[in-house]
Amino acid sequence: MFAYAARRMLLSVPVLLVASFLVFVLVAVSGSPTDPLRAVNPPVPEETIRLEERRLGWDQPLLQRYGSWLWGLVTRGDFGPSVNPREDINAEIVTRMGVTLRLVAVAMLVALVIAVVAGVVSAVRQYSALDYGITFSGFLFLAMPSFWLAVLLKEAGIWINGLDGDPRTQLLFTIGDRSPYLADPTWWNRFVDVAGHMILPTISLALISFAAWSRFQRAAMLEVLGSDYVRLARAKGLPARRVLTRHALRTALIPLTTVTAMDLAGILGGAVITETVFQWQGMGAYLIDSITTRDLYAVMAWLTISGLLVVVGNLVADLLYGVLDPRIRHA
Amino acid sequence: MRAVRLTAAVIAALTVVAACTRPDDASGGAGGGFEACAADPAGCNAGPTEPGGTMTYALGKDVKAWNTLSSAGNTVEYQQALAGVLGVAHVFAPDLKHTINTDTLASMGLVSSAPMTVQYKIQPNAVWSDGTPISAEDFIWVWKVMNGRDCTGCTAASNDGYQDIAAVAGADNGKTVTATFSKPYPDWQGLFGTLYPAHLAAQQGDLAAGFSWMEKTVPTWSGGPYRIEKHEPNFALTLVRNERWFGKSKAPLDRIVYRIITNDAELAPALRNGEVSAVNPIVTPDILAQVREVPDVNSHLGKGLSWEHLDFNLKNPALADRAIRQAIFTAINRADIIAKTVGQYAPDTQPMGSHNFVPTMPGYVDHVSATGQGSGDLAKAREILAKAGYRSAGGKLVAPSGKAVPPLRIRHTVGNQLRRNTCELVANMVKELGVEVRVEPTDNLGATLTSGDFDIMIFAWMLSPLRIGAASSLWASSSASNYGRWSNPASDKLLAQANQIVGDDAKAFDLINQADKIMTEDAYVLPLFQRESFTAVASRYANIRPNPTLSGVGYNIAQWGLRAQ
Repeated sequence: MFAYAARRMLLSVPVLLVASFLVFVLVAVSGSPTDPLRAVNPPVPEETIRLEERRLGWDQPLLQRYGSWLWGLVTRGDFGPSVNPREDINAEIVTRMGVTLRLVAVAMLVALVIAVVAGVVSAVRQYSALDYGITFSGFLFLAMPSFWLAVLLKEAGIWINGLDGDPRTQLLFTIGDRSPYLADPTWWNRFVDVAGHMILPTISLALISFAAWSRFQRAAMLEVLGSDYVRLARAKGLPARRVLTRHALRTALIPLTTVTAMDLAGILGGAVITETVFQWQGMGAYLIDSITTRDLYAVMAWLTISGLLVVVGNLVADLLYGVLDPRIRHA
Repeated sequence: MRAVRLTAAVIAALTVVAACTRPDDASGGAGGGFEACAADPAGCNAGPTEPGGTMTYALGKDVKAWNTLSSAGNTVEYQQALAGVLGVAHVFAPDLKHTINTDTLASMGLVSSAPMTVQYKIQPNAVWSDGTPISAEDFIWVWKVMNGRDCTGCTAASNDGYQDIAAVAGADNGKTVTATFSKPYPDWQGLFGTLYPAHLAAQQGDLAAGFSWMEKTVPTWSGGPYRIEKHEPNFALTLVRNERWFGKSKAPLDRIVYRIITNDAELAPALRNGEVSAVNPIVTPDILAQVREVPDVNSHLGKGLSWEHLDFNLKNPALADRAIRQAIFTAINRADIIAKTVGQYAPDTQPMGSHNFVPTMPGYVDHVSATGQGSGDLAKAREILAKAGYRSAGGKLVAPSGKAVPPLRIRHTVGNQLRRNTCELVANMVKELGVEVRVEPTDNLGATLTSGDFDIMIFAWMLSPLRIGAASSLWASSSASNYGRWSNPASDKLLAQANQIVGDDAKAFDLINQADKIMTEDAYVLPLFQRESFTAVASRYANIRPNPTLSGVGYNIAQWGLRAQ
C-alpha cells in the first residue's frame, strides 16, 4: 500500500511541474505586475517601477524567473514575493486555507449527512412521493447556479432577522466569518456569532454537493438492496433495520466515500463563489484578488496548492477504495 | 405543524440570544441627511453628536501597505483607512476647496515668490502618540523620501513638486517649517498633506529602511484622532480613540471599524442587515437601486472628479491625419451615449467640454461643443472628410492616398459594462462614415496604454482640485501619461508657462485653456462625461458626508459621530 502511494505521488510530480510551468507562462505573458503603476497620474517615477521590477524578479528572463521560483519553492518552501510589499504569500495561504477549510469541512459534513439520509430513504421508498420529492429537490439544487442560491439565502437571512420587527436583531449574517467587534465578547456570544456567520454559506455550499451525492447514494443503495447477500440476510430472518444498516448501508457507502474524496478539489473551486458572495476572505477570494492585482506568485501559490489537493484527493480516493472494499487490493 | 412550531420556537430563541450579541452598531436615531449636499457639499449632514458608538465602514480592499507616500500605498482605500491615524496637515473639502487641518497646522502659505518659499506653522501642542512633537523633522523626512534624489531606494508614488524643492528647514523648535523651491511649483498646496513620524523612521536605519518600515509595519503610532487597535488581515481594521490626540475636540466615536468587503455587489445586503453603516461603492444601476431601498440610510449620488474620455493613438498612420480624427469625433453623439448609459441613473449628466477642469471647478471652459465634436452631426463629419479628399467606395472610407481606411480597434477595461456599452455605441456611430471599429476588451489597462496597443481607448482620469501642474503631466509631449503621443509645441509652451505661475490661478487657467483649445481642435481626446460618486451612510451618524476628492469621506473623520438625540 505504501509503495503504491509513493509511486502515485512520484508520478504526479512531472504533472505538477508541467502544469506549474504552463500556468507560470500564461500568467507572465498576461502582463507585468508593475503595469498598473504606469496608468496613474501623476506618473510613478521610473526608478520606483525599476525597483519594484527588481524586487519581483521581473528584470530576469522568463525561464530564469521560473527557475528561481521553483528553486525557492522546493528548497525553502517559499512561494515568492507578493506585489504587496508587506504580504507574505506563505502566511497568507495558511491563514486563508484555514478559513476555506473551515467552510468546506463543515459544508461537506452537512452535505454528506443529508445526502446519505436522503439517498437511503429515497432508495428504500423507491417511486414513493418521498422519493420523487427528494429526487426533485436534488435536481433542483443541481441545476441551480450556486451564486444565485447564495443570494437567495442572503435575502432569506435578512428576512428572518427582520421577523421580530426589531432592527437590532441579527441572527444570520451575510458577510464574513465573524463580527469584527462584539460589545460583550463572552465565549458564548462568540460561539453564537460564529455560528450565525456560518449558517448561510454552509447551507449554500452544502446544498450543491448534497444534490449530486444523494443521487449517488440512492443508486448505490438500490444496487445493494437488490444483491444476493442482502436477500440472504432477509431470508435468514434478520430484522429489516439491521439488514439496512449493518449489511446494505455499509456496502453502499463505498462509492460515495471515493466520490467525496475526488470531489474535494471541486468543492474548493465551488467555495470561490460562496466566499465571494459571503465575503469570506479565504482561498477563493485570494485567487480573485491575486488575479486582479497581477500578483503572479500568489496565483502560482494558489494553483500549486489546488494541484496538490487534486492529486492528493485522487490518491486518497484510490486508497480508500482499496481499504473499504476487500475485493480490491493494490498489488 | 409540530415541526413548524418547533422551528419558530428555535428561531425566536436564537433571535433573543443574537440580540444580546449584536455588534455595537445600531444605536442612535435618524435625522439630518444628504439632501443639502448638492447645494452645500461641505456642510450637509452636519449636526451635534453624542459620545460613544461604533461606525462600521465598508472598505474595498485590505490595507497591504501602510505608507501612503509609496507607489503600493497610494490608493484611495488606504488613504481612507489611515485618515484618522496619519498626521494630516491639510485636505480637500467636498466643495473642492483646499483646507488646512487647523488641529495640526496653525497656518501655511507662500511667503516669497523669488525664490518660491512656502512656510508651514505647526500647532505647538501637535504631538505623535508617543509624545514626540510633530515637527520640521517630519516635513524634511517626507521631502527626502519623495524627491527622488536623497533616497533612490524609496519607491515613492510620485516625485512631483518635491523634486522642485531645494531645501526644507525648521525653526522655532521645529514648529515652523520653510520649504524653498528651486523653481516655481504652482500646485504647492498639494505637498506635505500627510506626515509620518520621522523619529520612528530614523530608528530603522537609513531613509530607504525607514520608508520600507513605514510601508510594512502596522502603525502603532498616531498623529490623528484615532489609533489602530488591531488589524485582522483581509477582515477588518479597527481604530479606537488616540488618547494623545491634541485636537480642539475629542473624537466622538469610540471605535471605527473598516470592514473589508471586496465585492461591491455585497454592500447593499450588508447595509440592509446592519453589518456595515457606510459604503462608498463604484456606482452601478443595481447598487444604486438596492442601496436606495435600505431604510434609515442617507445616500448621495453626486458628480465625482473622474471623467471618461476617448483617446486616439496617433502612432497609427491611419489616424495621423487630423481630418479623419475630427470627422470621427464629430460623428460620435455624446448626448446619445449618455442617454443610453450613465443617463439612465444620473439624468443630469452632461457632455464635458474641457480636458482639464470639470464644470464645478473654476477655470472650466467648454472648448469641445463649438467644434462640433461629440455632436453626432454626420453631415458635418462627411463634409470634413470630403474637404480633406476622403471618399466612399463600396461603403468603405478611402483615404486621399487611395488606400481604404483600415479597421480601428477601440479598447476598454474588461468587465466594465459602462465602457463596453459606450464602445459599442461609438462603433455603430462611426460605421456611418464607412469606418469599421472593432470593440476589444483589455484585462491590463496599464500595459495596453503604455504599449500603445490600441487605436482608440476609453478610460478615465481622476482630477485633483489643483490643476495647473497636472495639465502638463497629462498633455505635454514628453509626459509619460500622454499615451497617444500627441505633440504640439505651442501647447507645450503654454503649459510650461502655466507651470511657472504661482499665486495667480486665473492667469494660469487662461494659459491652460489656450492649450486645451489647441488640443481640442486637433481632435486628440474627446471628453465624454463626469463619472458619478456615490456614498451611503446610516442616518444615525452626523458630520460624515460625500467627498469626491482624493481626501475622501475621511477628510473630517474627527467629527464623525452618532447624532445627538
